[in-house]
Amino acid sequence: MKLVDIAKVIRSKNAGPTTLTLDLLFNDEAGFKAACASKSLTADAIAKLYSQPRAKVEVLPYPPALAIKIVMPRRVVSGDPGDSDVYGAQQHGPMLAVEL
Amino acid sequence: MTTAIERIRKSVVGSDGKLAPLRVMAASGQLGYGIPDPAFNAGLERKPHLIGADMGSIDPGPYYLGAGKMAQSDTMVRVDLAKCINGARKLGVPLLIGTAGSAGAAPHLAATLDMVREIARRDGLHFRLASISADMPRDVVKKAIRAKKVVPLGEIGALTEADVDRATNLVGQMGIEAFQRALNAGADVIIAGRACDSAVFAAVPSLLGYPMGPTLHMSKIIECCSLCCTPGGRDTIIGTLEGDSFTVDSMNPTRNASPMSVAAHSLYEQADPYAVREPEGTLHTKEAKYEVVDEHRTRVSGSRWEPATQLTVKIEGAMRVGERAILLAGSADPRVIANAKSITAGVEKIVRELTPPNPAKPYQIIWRVYGIDAVFPWPTPPDPLPREIFFMCECIADTAEEARAVATVTKQYLLHHGFPGRLSTAGNLAFPFTPPEVAASTAYRFNVYHVMDVDSLEPLFPLHIEEV
Repeated sequence: MKLVDIAKVIRSKNAGPTTLTLDLLFNDEAGFKAACASKSLTADAIAKLYSQPRAKVEVLPYPPALAIKIVMPRRVVSGDPGDSDVYGAQQHGPMLAVEL
Repeated sequence: MTTAIERIRKSVVGSDGKLAPLRVMAASGQLGYGIPDPAFNAGLERKPHLIGADMGSIDPGPYYLGAGKMAQSDTMVRVDLAKCINGARKLGVPLLIGTAGSAGAAPHLAATLDMVREIARRDGLHFRLASISADMPRDVVKKAIRAKKVVPLGEIGALTEADVDRATNLVGQMGIEAFQRALNAGADVIIAGRACDSAVFAAVPSLLGYPMGPTLHMSKIIECCSLCCTPGGRDTIIGTLEGDSFTVDSMNPTRNASPMSVAAHSLYEQADPYAVREPEGTLHTKEAKYEVVDEHRTRVSGSRWEPATQLTVKIEGAMRVGERAILLAGSADPRVIANAKSITAGVEKIVRELTPPNPAKPYQIIWRVYGIDAVFPWPTPPDPLPREIFFMCECIADTAEEARAVATVTKQYLLHHGFPGRLSTAGNLAFPFTPPEVAASTAYRFNVYHVMDVDSLEPLFPLHIEEV
């Protein structure tokens, strides 16, 4: 099962200029629970996908919105020379290929 | 004459001290990008007790703070400001605007105030105008650094006194305290420098005694207007505080606030969905309950406010890095596309030989190859390779002329760079127009994004009152 098939929203954005956050929103309880239980969405797995040290990645389930929030540092501070995405709104690409 | 805040108090505080429902209208999530009329006018018809609008953010990057410029166009800011000022004056309710001019530093505040005065003159409006500055006194910040009262927000490094000097603009985010001072001074229109977006909407209710948990949570939800609805959008929204809860009601009837969409908004641009830290305390939403009122509205209760034991101010600063020039060019040649990395490396080597960097202030060359890995640093190239790619070569140098020199030399050598197997010997690139090298203004970067412990907020955010 692919994440794209059960998520209704997969998005990324800055949470301030030093932090990137990914939100995964699900259509229903079943999808949310499957995602929460999946080994592909652990901090370890996400850290690998985004080339981040494991300790810097947080995965936070948010049941009120059937959502999972992922938080990690930005590669560079927003807008620094060499940045590629000032708003951080296009950093969700690797999530689209995730198999649960 | 009674002040705006006294008029609201009279209308919502009963003789028994009970508080009637308070209607807070969020006119725009970012003033200056256009406010749709139907929802804005529908909002005015509900007779809100106040109108608020956020005008800025740190999200658009360091340029606006650094350069003291607005991200929005002057024309659109004038239109939106006039709409909000006229609406608020017609109802006789206060208008609160936060983070004036995109970044909320002195030049942004001054430019916004000039527009407000101009609109008042043009439209024959008279009111008490409050402005609140948010520029941090550099000696205060340096003193806080020495006292170890400044910590980084995320991965940006410890703040130094040299950073404080280098920032062209240095602001702090004001909280509800500053807006309340302006309201107590009888302000009708408040234009604030850098401010917490929630403070714009929370200042009036908290001054009147509405419970802080729901007040702050409502403010956090409505500051982006109808973005908390399905489908999300920019339309005006009204939050109504009632007892220990609040309801959200988009003024566009096609945008429905459901428990799920409102709860999901708590995630938006936040690192922690359950806690929002403000200068005066922290909003906790872990126990919040989201309930259907009807298919268009949602009621939220159970959020909790924890007053801070230590007052803090989030500080933001941007410094000049250099002058930027960029080269824009595409390619549709499969062999150029397959060799893009080695071609750009080869060209850069030649350019650095021909335009030797000043050792004291060396320029930077930054390549982005769209189609391959310009947006995300993919570990492997796409397979198959794309049919077309786009080269953007950026140079940041000490002077605009030096940046232009590097970009133009790069253009010529990238156009004609020879590589093994090359077929397109007349040129590797397609320029969409000329000149393909463009001066892209001064480059800035955020060098301050920290939080500072303070003893008192008031001296950092001075209030100025004028009659217009």
